[in-house]
Amino acid sequence: MGMMGKERGMGKKKKRQKIILPPELPPEIPEDEVEVSDEDLQFFDENRDYAGFVSTLDTHSITRRRQAEKQKEESALQVDPVDALPVKTLDGELYYRTAPKKPKDSENAADKNEADGEDGNEGVDKSIVKLTKAERRAKLKKSKKEAKKQGKELDKTEDVQQTPQAAVLAEVKEDLTAEETFESKKRKLAELGMALLADPEANIKTLKEMLQISKDDDQAIVKLALLSLLAVFKDIIPGYRIRLPTEKELEMTVSKEVKKKRYYESTLLSTYKAYLQKLMALERQASFQHVVVRCICTLLDAVPHFNFRESLLAAVIKNISSSDDVVRKLCCATVKSLFTDDGKHGGEATVEAVQLIADHVKAHDCQLHPDSIEVFMYLTFDEDLGRPENPNEDNKVKNKKNKKRKNHGESGELQERDRKKNRQELVTKMREEVNADFRAASFAPDVKERRRMQSEALSAVFETYFRILKHSMRKISVRSEENGSSLPGASGNHPLLVPCLIGLGKFSHLIDLDFMGDLMNCLRKLACGSSNSDGSCNKLLTVSERLRCCIVAFKVMRNNLEALNVDLQEFFVQLYNLIIEYRPGRDQGEVLAEALKIMLCDDRQHDMQKAAAFIKRLATFSLCFGCAESMAALVTLKHLLQKNVKCRHLLENDAGGGSVLGSIVKYQPYASDPGQSGALASVLWELNLLSKHYHPAVSTMASNVSGMSAGHNQVYLAKVSPQQAFADLSLEHESFINPKNIVMKSNHKRKRGSGSSGAASINPTPDTATPIDEDGLKKKLSEHFTLLHDIKENERLRGELDRVTLSLQVYKEHKNQKKREHASKPKKNTEKTAS
Amino acid sequence: MGKLGKKARKFAKKNLQSVLKRKRKLKSMFKKKSSRGEQDAADDQLQDETNLLNGRNLEGEDIEGTSLDSIFSEDDSDVAGDDSDSDGFLSEDSSCMYVPQSENGNLLEDNGGGSALLVQNREIHLELAKKKKKLDRLKEKDPEFSKFLESYHKGLEELRNDENYSDEDEESDLNMQSMNEDSLNLKNAKLLTNSAIDSWCKIVGEQHNISALPSLLNGYRAACHYGTSSTSAVDAAASSYSIQNSETFCNILMFMLREADNIFRGLLGISCSSCRKETILDLKNTAKWKSLKPMVKSYLRSTLFLLNQVTDSEILAFSLTRLRASIIFFSAFPSLLRRLIKIAVHLWATGGGTVSSCAFLIIQDVALIFSSDCFDTCLIKTYKAFIAHSKFVKPGFYKHIQFLRNSFVELCSLDVEKSSKKALVSMQQLAKILQQGLRTRKKEAIEKICSWQYTNCIDLWVMFISANISDNSLQHLLFMIIQVINGVAYLFPGPRYLPLRLKTIQWLNHLSSSSGVFIPVASLVLDTLEYKIGKESGQPGKAFNISSAIKLPKHCLKSRKFQEECILSAIELLTVHFGQWSYHISFPELASIPLIRLRKFHETTIENLRHVVKRLIDQVLHLDSLA
Repeated sequence: MGMMGKERGMGKKKKRQKIILPPELPPEIPEDEVEVSDEDLQFFDENRDYAGFVSTLDTHSITRRRQAEKQKEESALQVDPVDALPVKTLDGELYYRTAPKKPKDSENAADKNEADGEDGNEGVDKSIVKLTKAERRAKLKKSKKEAKKQGKELDKTEDVQQTPQAAVLAEVKEDLTAEETFESKKRKLAELGMALLADPEANIKTLKEMLQISKDDDQAIVKLALLSLLAVFKDIIPGYRIRLPTEKELEMTVSKEVKKKRYYESTLLSTYKAYLQKLMALERQASFQHVVVRCICTLLDAVPHFNFRESLLAAVIKNISSSDDVVRKLCCATVKSLFTDDGKHGGEATVEAVQLIADHVKAHDCQLHPDSIEVFMYLTFDEDLGRPENPNEDNKVKNKKNKKRKNHGESGELQERDRKKNRQELVTKMREEVNADFRAASFAPDVKERRRMQSEALSAVFETYFRILKHSMRKISVRSEENGSSLPGASGNHPLLVPCLIGLGKFSHLIDLDFMGDLMNCLRKLACGSSNSDGSCNKLLTVSERLRCCIVAFKVMRNNLEALNVDLQEFFVQLYNLIIEYRPGRDQGEVLAEALKIMLCDDRQHDMQKAAAFIKRLATFSLCFGCAESMAALVTLKHLLQKNVKCRHLLENDAGGGSVLGSIVKYQPYASDPGQSGALASVLWELNLLSKHYHPAVSTMASNVSGMSAGHNQVYLAKVSPQQAFADLSLEHESFINPKNIVMKSNHKRKRGSGSSGAASINPTPDTATPIDEDGLKKKLSEHFTLLHDIKENERLRGELDRVTLSLQVYKEHKNQKKREHASKPKKNTEKTAS
Repeated sequence: MGKLGKKARKFAKKNLQSVLKRKRKLKSMFKKKSSRGEQDAADDQLQDETNLLNGRNLEGEDIEGTSLDSIFSEDDSDVAGDDSDSDGFLSEDSSCMYVPQSENGNLLEDNGGGSALLVQNREIHLELAKKKKKLDRLKEKDPEFSKFLESYHKGLEELRNDENYSDEDEESDLNMQSMNEDSLNLKNAKLLTNSAIDSWCKIVGEQHNISALPSLLNGYRAACHYGTSSTSAVDAAASSYSIQNSETFCNILMFMLREADNIFRGLLGISCSSCRKETILDLKNTAKWKSLKPMVKSYLRSTLFLLNQVTDSEILAFSLTRLRASIIFFSAFPSLLRRLIKIAVHLWATGGGTVSSCAFLIIQDVALIFSSDCFDTCLIKTYKAFIAHSKFVKPGFYKHIQFLRNSFVELCSLDVEKSSKKALVSMQQLAKILQQGLRTRKKEAIEKICSWQYTNCIDLWVMFISANISDNSLQHLLFMIIQVINGVAYLFPGPRYLPLRLKTIQWLNHLSSSSGVFIPVASLVLDTLEYKIGKESGQPGKAFNISSAIKLPKHCLKSRKFQEECILSAIELLTVHFGQWSYHISFPELASIPLIRLRKFHETTIENLRHVVKRLIDQVLHLDSLA
């Protein structure tokens, strides 16, 4: 070990003689730390001859040098290791880049520190770390020493550098120092941050320093500072809300511990406040927006319980429909996590956020990005909490499980339903008990409080939804009054309508009964597209939007157990007509499939005329559209046929089909009311054509359906929903290469003989039979020949010409040479030619 | 040779021509031995299998670099190996050597044509004469200079030799030779005259005497190689023939092309109509064949060489038809056969008109006669050529592409089983690209699909499938191609893609009518009626050809012509669709939704097109009432 140290020292010495330091030195071990073991000493003694050089070493200079380096390293706190290396100047001199600058800097700083006292230097040199007194003193001493030494060295180097390059060098130095200060600030940030994370209580003061750095002119530094502060705050903010002590409390005498704690908390809070103010100020600047929004969102996500949440929330909601994708996505994600992670903030933030969004929508007159409303989908409402006062009504509120079960049971009889009701009551009772236990165990906020918050949130949500609906309605009426003609791209006028409808569908069970009638009216109008009849006005809402209106209406009705006596007939008429308005590329097939599912498959028994009309229309529909749409329609059709036994007369090819039952004798394919179509009088011939469909799934389905007979009353239910069928066959999802088909059927050998190339007629002027014009051919051949000949001749002539001209040139050379030879010796000529 | 000294090498080259030649022959023999006849087939198989595998597990795979060209990658390098054995010189029977009289006519005066090249030649000639005179004068005046010049030239030559010998390649030797002995050749070569050829033709043609055949073939060979710069000197030296004038040239080429096949057949006793490769293979061990084999080979090789040299379509067509007549002889020379395929495919793709069809007939014959070994090669080569040539379609070029497509389909139909395997691989490629486009909607992927190459490829397989739909094994291909077409239509809904949309509907109609399956196209057609074009300018607009584009330029969209085109083509396509099912019992139902939409459209459309729509509606209603 000792030998190693010595040897390294020696290596150093040698290096120094060459004045070149290696780029990477092994980690420096201070001289005093090096232990010289006994063994080493012994070895040294024994081999004194070999080690003779050690004694001749200039120990003094070595140690001096090493000490200097040590000190430099200590003083140059934030010097990058690379910068610590010497720089070779243009004239080959080596100097330490940091050496001449650093100590001076610190000297200045130290002087200033002494002169200005506590905080004087802040404005002058921001890069300077505030040090505790002891540290500062130590540093001052060191730097003074350093400065002396460096001064000597500097003198030397300056002597050498009295060259014109000095100016250039100065410039380079300036650049370097800019880079340096950046580096140093960066390092400082890191150090401060680390210290804070390691022991926040002790280092809480340094928070202010970090905040200072964030006021830098350099944008990069500001961003870095903001982000480091974010990391620190995220980590050190306590799990409770800080309440500053009142004056009275301050007056009371408290223990040291408490004082310390109070100091800590107040510092934290004040810096946090300052930090947030800084963030809000910077948010308006475009160049900082991303960083600031990221900070705000992260903070809101991490510490929603802490003070100043309101300002954070406001900032987030303000940006929720930003046109910048990154910003919007961030904000939406934050709000979503707020909604889903209720426990962190006890639900208060949720309410505030919802209310803020509602205000935002109101302020912008519903012209926002759909994402801003879509976040509502992530809200969860505790249904039992919602209306505990009247447990009787609980039956109406279905949670998902019950809903599903109910949907399946719909075809069943009333008796069945009663039984279910009883069971549901049982289930809800059980759940209530469990919930009560849970609430007792967890120290969640008071039930009443929660109920209040939830109802506030709900009312804000529905207020927003209704506002959007009303807004869309208003638009329509205004449009239809202004001008009846279609406006291209009108669908873009209701950006919020789609998420609004989806949300209504989701929360339909929570809607107050008082609003129900109004809501249904709204939906009906929207589904119609316009108040006054058909035609171009329909285009104001897209087919998908109108379909969604129908879906929502049905969901609302279903979830409220059809308690309202609202006639849904009109929605069926709309659907009946919307089916043929559908365009595969333009409208969303998924929505159509969902509408089919909810309105036709899930609904209770239909009036037979209506069912037959839909069956007929769906069959016709599937003749015109792609396989995914066809499949969805066929699945629904099958459903309807299964449920409506009498409609299976459509499958019989008797004259007039099932006309016995209908009041309308002839099928009217162009009627717009399903009740008036007289579909019972028709036959489902479409299935015959569909069984020839190119897609195997569709054709099997079609033949499957046509195989159903009126006699059998099979009560098997199809497992596939229309949505599922649509998704399975839609082009994006389907792999074009059907795996089962990939195996080639090679048993089918078939080769065509040579003679049977029946498609010979394809060739425009084929075959050997064409007589060949020999004379013409000869002429062509001779032309070809002469061309080739000429080319060849040309080549040859050119070659020869080159040769001759070269010879002539050579003659000139020859003449020149001769002249020279005449001047000197004539002998040389022969020599040259020989070579 | 490598061990010989520089001087020795030089000597050998100058004086031991025959030795060198033998050496070269040997070398080429070795090369041939290691040529990769069987390897090729195996490689191909492997390639196909891996392609298939790729197709199977493409689900999660990133398929960034799929392009239509990359499929069926097979080595073309074997052809390079073949080229080296271009030594078709035959030893001659000197007894019947016709000694040419001195009928040297100056070629330059021979034809009075004033071609540009000729004029230039004259100018150069004049300048040359002038300079030569000057040089001669100088030489006379200064004898020392002539000596100097000589030594200078020698030095120059030596320098050049040094350079050339530095690498031991045969090629450089050839070059050297050609440089050094250019003038020598001209003197040494026997001049091929008209009368000589006439007499040879007589001997061979009328007296059925093969003694003159080698000379004739050598002459033919010289004619075929005439004028080629790189090898001409060597070949001329080897064959020691030079063509005297154009008449001679014509004579020998015409005679050989016309008669060679008959002569060989006559000599071997093969009937004119026989075209089974077994006939040649049976003959393989007979003495007669052994004696004739080099001559046949020389003829075939020379003719192939000619095909590479000539650009005139008539000559090409003629030589192709003649070569086709003697196609069975290729069975003895697999390497030549490969070269034949390559040349034929090239001419098929690029030639146009008769040349293309002649070339295709050859390909077809090759695929038929040598079906066991060559069918796949032919198929792949033609497919690749087609794909490579279908990148851009200019208006005039469209017909040629159609011809290429049709002939390719014809070729495929020769062996449906084999070609459907290839079709599967290619269509998987298409599907892969489409899926990529559907999933990512990236610009590159979209552009790849909306290209002539892609559409032509679909077109190709649509035609193939509909031509061979009776074959059961094609059912799954049918399904696949329909899905791909639907995907393409789905991916490009906008009015700018009207030509592409029309194409897809045409394909679907075509497939439906040939296979009898039901493919719903009504909604695809009706979409074209409802394109939102915005304000119509009412101007007739620039004329544009819908069949020669896939994507229309933006300015077209507002023109009246575009609207007319939309409506007329939609009605035409709808009529085809209806026409196919007009006798089906469910026709009224099939037509009902389109009718609703047509009526709505009828109300809104412009006046002059209304009657077309109206007429269609009436017709359909009439049919309805009949049902």
